[in-house]
Amino acid sequence: MILLLVIFLIVPTFGLLRASFLSESHLLDGSGFSLKQYIRFFSDSYYSSVLFETFVDGIIVSLVCLAIGFPTGYSLARLSPLARRWRIIIVIMPLTLSLVVIVFGWLIILGRNGVINALLLSSGIASSPKQLLFSRPAVITVLVQQFLPFMILSVMSVVTQIDPVLEHAAANLRANRLATFRKVVIPLALPGIFAGFNLVFVLSISAFITPRLIGGNRVAMLGSLIYERIMAELNWPSGAAMAFILLVSGLGVTAALNALAASRVVTKGGRYAR
Amino acid sequence: MRVDLIDRAMAASGAAVRAIVYTMLALPALLVIVCSFTSGDSLNFPPTGFSMRWYREAWQNELFMTALWTSTYIAVLVSTMALAIGFAAAFAINRFAFPGKGFLQALAFSPLIVPAVVLGIGLLQLFAKLNLTQTIYPLLLGHLVLAIPYVMRTILASLSLHNRVLEEAAMNLRASPLKVIRRITLPLILPGLLSAAIFAFVTSFGNVTVSAFLTYGGHVTLPVQIFTYVDTSYDPLVAAVSSLMIVITLVIILVIERLIGADRVA
Repeated sequence: MILLLVIFLIVPTFGLLRASFLSESHLLDGSGFSLKQYIRFFSDSYYSSVLFETFVDGIIVSLVCLAIGFPTGYSLARLSPLARRWRIIIVIMPLTLSLVVIVFGWLIILGRNGVINALLLSSGIASSPKQLLFSRPAVITVLVQQFLPFMILSVMSVVTQIDPVLEHAAANLRANRLATFRKVVIPLALPGIFAGFNLVFVLSISAFITPRLIGGNRVAMLGSLIYERIMAELNWPSGAAMAFILLVSGLGVTAALNALAASRVVTKGGRYAR
Repeated sequence: MRVDLIDRAMAASGAAVRAIVYTMLALPALLVIVCSFTSGDSLNFPPTGFSMRWYREAWQNELFMTALWTSTYIAVLVSTMALAIGFAAAFAINRFAFPGKGFLQALAFSPLIVPAVVLGIGLLQLFAKLNLTQTIYPLLLGHLVLAIPYVMRTILASLSLHNRVLEEAAMNLRASPLKVIRRITLPLILPGLLSAAIFAFVTSFGNVTVSAFLTYGGHVTLPVQIFTYVDTSYDPLVAAVSSLMIVITLVIILVIERLIGADRVA
């Protein structure tokens, strides 16, 4: 297994790093070293705006997932196994189902002859079909639905480990639900929150199927840009450099969240947990 | 316990959020199935009429059926290989202390944190250098890398849950280590192994983000075929093919649920 992962995970990643330092003219013989791709990326205002938008989208998607995924994951953790069953199946379904199928489902919902337009027209709110696809809110909505299960499951797995006795104790001490939540549940659930946030963020910034199919040409995200660079233009160095920027930013966020989680757990969480 | 306004507000908003979340999670798949039965020529909502027409067309569509076949046999190969490799590695991690154990564990889960785009182009580049882009190997090995974390997690969980006293008893009765593994350990963790294999299957069967880069040459999997088709146009044909995938996936989830309980999947 070590061999397998080294050859097919580590080696390709370094190969990519190598490719990102090539300039187009040296692509075939694979010699030479230049920072051209990176310099071009960071000096071009178009690329930096795409990078910025991708990050903003990633943060929005993660925050929305947290806001609606936390209560859902929490309630799942506190349900009886029997009541949990069907809900879990609904949560896991989008994870196991192919992403394209989900995106296709959204095309049916958001398309010109889609569900939302049918509702708008028949209720008389709109007189002509609205253009819902190819917009940033549409991309964000679809990304939220795709990655929400990761958040729900991360929250659920930590909350199941929190003893409900702690919450009852807080309630006995006359804390209302909000106070109990703020001072007991959230600090203890922080590792799960960070883990979920991290996963959703990394997945969102590297998404390319959804931005391409839902966003079209109007919404540029780094992932779809890389896909076009490589598969349509065969511009390896440029695509590789962008992929690397993506990888490094993802790892950076992971490291930052880990550091944050470590410090929080030691200070705050630790204090409440005892 | 005291119940005040904040409690009531939180309970109400929580219930509302949950209702929205479950609807939102299930809706796309449900609508795909509903629309696949249309008798019209385009994807409308509500669908016009009811017919199996698009399922017949899908069945006769060579592109999609070849892709379905490719997806299936790659997924079967991947789950067999992932199971063998995953069991060996998980067994070692669970039972023995050895140098580099932490590293091995971290490595096993690392495919989860590498963005699909990075893994996809990295592998494409590697196989291009090896002149293997026209073969099935890129897809096979790419999916194998992706499946390993899931397989490892499931097998590790079932290994740590089963009672080791039974193995010790067998060894006291002079069973050889191999016999213990074959007669005691494997049957005991069989549900875990089966769900690990099924997991590898769905990971491979549904994957599109990495596969989109690896179907550069000959072999195209069903999700990638749907992706390239939808990229240019979409009609009820794709709805029928997608419904097929939904049903297959749903059946598989229900099997896992039966085997180990859906809770433990998380």
